Parts: sequence; C-alpha cells; structure tokens
Amino acid sequence: MIDELDLLKKDWQKREEHLPKLSFDQIHNMIWKKSSSIVRWILIISILEISLPNLIYLSPSFRKNPLLHDAGGFNTIYIVFNVFYYAVVLYFIFQFYRRYKEISILDSAKNLMRQIIKTRKTVKHYIIFCLTMSLVFFALFIVGIYLSDEVLLAFDGVAEKSKEIPLEKIRTTTIWILSIGAVVFTAFIAGIYFLLYGLLLRKLKRNYKELKQLEV
Amino acid sequence: MNKKLEHQFVTELENNQNIVHKVCTLYTNDRHSHNDLFQEITIQLWKAYPKFRGESKFSTWMYRVALNTAITLYRKSKRSIRTQDYDSVIYKITANEYDPQEEEQLKLMYAAVKQLGDIEKALVFLYLEDKDYREIAETLGITEVNARVKMNRIKKKLRTILNP
Repeated sequence: MIDELDLLKKDWQKREEHLPKLSFDQIHNMIWKKSSSIVRWILIISILEISLPNLIYLSPSFRKNPLLHDAGGFNTIYIVFNVFYYAVVLYFIFQFYRRYKEISILDSAKNLMRQIIKTRKTVKHYIIFCLTMSLVFFALFIVGIYLSDEVLLAFDGVAEKSKEIPLEKIRTTTIWILSIGAVVFTAFIAGIYFLLYGLLLRKLKRNYKELKQLEV
Repeated sequence: MNKKLEHQFVTELENNQNIVHKVCTLYTNDRHSHNDLFQEITIQLWKAYPKFRGESKFSTWMYRVALNTAITLYRKSKRSIRTQDYDSVIYKITANEYDPQEEEQLKLMYAAVKQLGDIEKALVFLYLEDKDYREIAETLGITEVNARVKMNRIKKKLRTILNP
C-alpha cells in the first residue's frame, strides 16, 4: 500500500498542470461575496433564537394580558421573575459573543471545531433555560389558580361562566388545560430545536469525535 | 490602503490557487460544488488575511484555512456520490504517458480516497502534498504520534476498499 500511496503522490504532483486556473478578476470578484459557512449560519440562527423568546415576551398582546397585572400578589413574583430573567439573558448574550469572537479559522481543526461546539452550546443552554422558565411560569399560574380565586377570575370570561358552572369545576379544568398545554408546548419547541441543532452540527460533531477518539 | 491589501491578496491567491483547487477536488464531486467550495475558501482566506503576518509562507498559511473550511465550515450540498463522478471529475484528465495497468490502479486509488471521511481525506491530502507528520499534526490539532497512527489506519482502510 505504501508503494501505491507513493505512486499516487507522484501522480498527484504531476496533475497540478491540469487544475483549473482562475484569473485575477475572477478571484477578485469572489472576495466580497457572502459566506455561507456554518459559522455564519450559527450566528444568524443564534441571534434569532436569543431574540425570539424576548420578542414574544415583550409583544404588546403578551404585556397587556390581564393575568400578568391584575392578579394581586402575583405582581411581585412577576417583577422578581423579570429581573432574574433579563439578568440571565444578558449573561447568555455576553457568553455567546465572547465565544463567537474566539472562533478562529487559523486554529487547528480540532480547536476550531471545539470552539464552534462551545459557542453553539451556549445557545443550547439558553434554550433549555427559556423552556424551563416557561414551565416555571405555567407552574406559577397553576399554583396561583389553585390557591386563590382572584387569579382564576382574572381570566377573560371566567367571572361570567362561574354563574353557570361551579367555580371548582372551572378551576380543575383550567389546571388540567394549563398543565397539558405547558408540557405539549415545551416538548414541541424542544423537539424542533434539537432537530435543528442536530442537523446543523451533525457533520461537525462527527469529525470532532473522530479527532477526539485518537487521544484515547 | 485597503485597495493595496486587496491587490496583494488576490495576487498571492492567484499564484497559489492550486492548493485550493486540490482541496476542492478532494472534497467535492462535481464542478458546481468545486466552485462553491473554492469561493467559500477564498472568502475565509480574505477574512483572515489581515491576521496573516508573513511569519510563514502564504502557501503554508493557506493549507490550514483551506482545510478548516472544507472540513468544518463548508456545508455540502446534498449530492450523492455516484461512481461516474469519479471518472468525470477526479480522473477527468487521463495522462497518456502511463501504462494501462498503472493508470487503472491510480484510478482505483483516487476512487478509494474519495470514499474516506473528512478527517482522513485531510491526512491523505497533506501526505500527498509532502507535508511531514509534525505539520499534519499541527494542522489537525492532534499529536504527531496520533497522526502516524491515524495514517496507518487510513492505509489499512484503503487496502480494504481496494481489495474487498
């Protein structure tokens, strides 16, 4: 085999004269084209992922939701929750930016792959954080509904309905709907996310694993 | 200043474009993908060019950027590898001076190398380019010993592909 590879080597070097030749202008045209590299995709997708939950969170319809404001003692929890949420979001943005900046094409292949995976992991943790927060949020509602009629009555139409149907029945139904809704919603978003994440990094992870395995 | 840098870069790349073409030949199976990868490598080289301090030769520096782009950054279009692609792309230039037996052997070798994984191709590429194990190890971020071990495994794998 060594002989065959050496034979290939000789041929490989002779073959140079048959390679395509691009002109100065052809190369010059290329340098300002947009990159379609995985790092660019990761940047675009990550920015979307980081901003989307916040856009939903800050959207006027969500803000105006009477549930968030009229439910008595719920307000304090809501403010604490908000401060905590934004502190963590800022931390993730900072981490992502730092790691993204550290990606360098001049690194060795292994370091480059590790850095990309690390950057992407920051976003993965952020998504896990957001999903956990949404579950906590749902859980707080459910506890609120369980403990006080005030929270339950803050829902649109509940006050009128309670004249026809016993409040206890509405309470149980609402808790069930919210619990199932929370789990389905979280599972759905997580499913989409991990599918996308897996597809994006499949090749990279495979190659990284191959280099990593050599160390064992 | 920027214009000067641009001119300098394009001239250097024009003179050393063979390296990029060879990487593209190894990692793609048709002309369209070849050009696509060539363009991506050019963009990455240009983006990294301000960091090129001339400590090493431009060509040496290119190997790393070109291979990193091919292995890590480039997202292949989903095209299946068909046998006729080997003939049309890698072996499109059949040199007449070879004896038929040697030619057939080379053809099979090229086809076998095409079946290797991304990392394996990188090792074979650097080997064919006459790089020593130290440079191969540094480019990939593994130890020299591991580069040798991996190369031996690749040789075995090629042997299996050629003699199933």
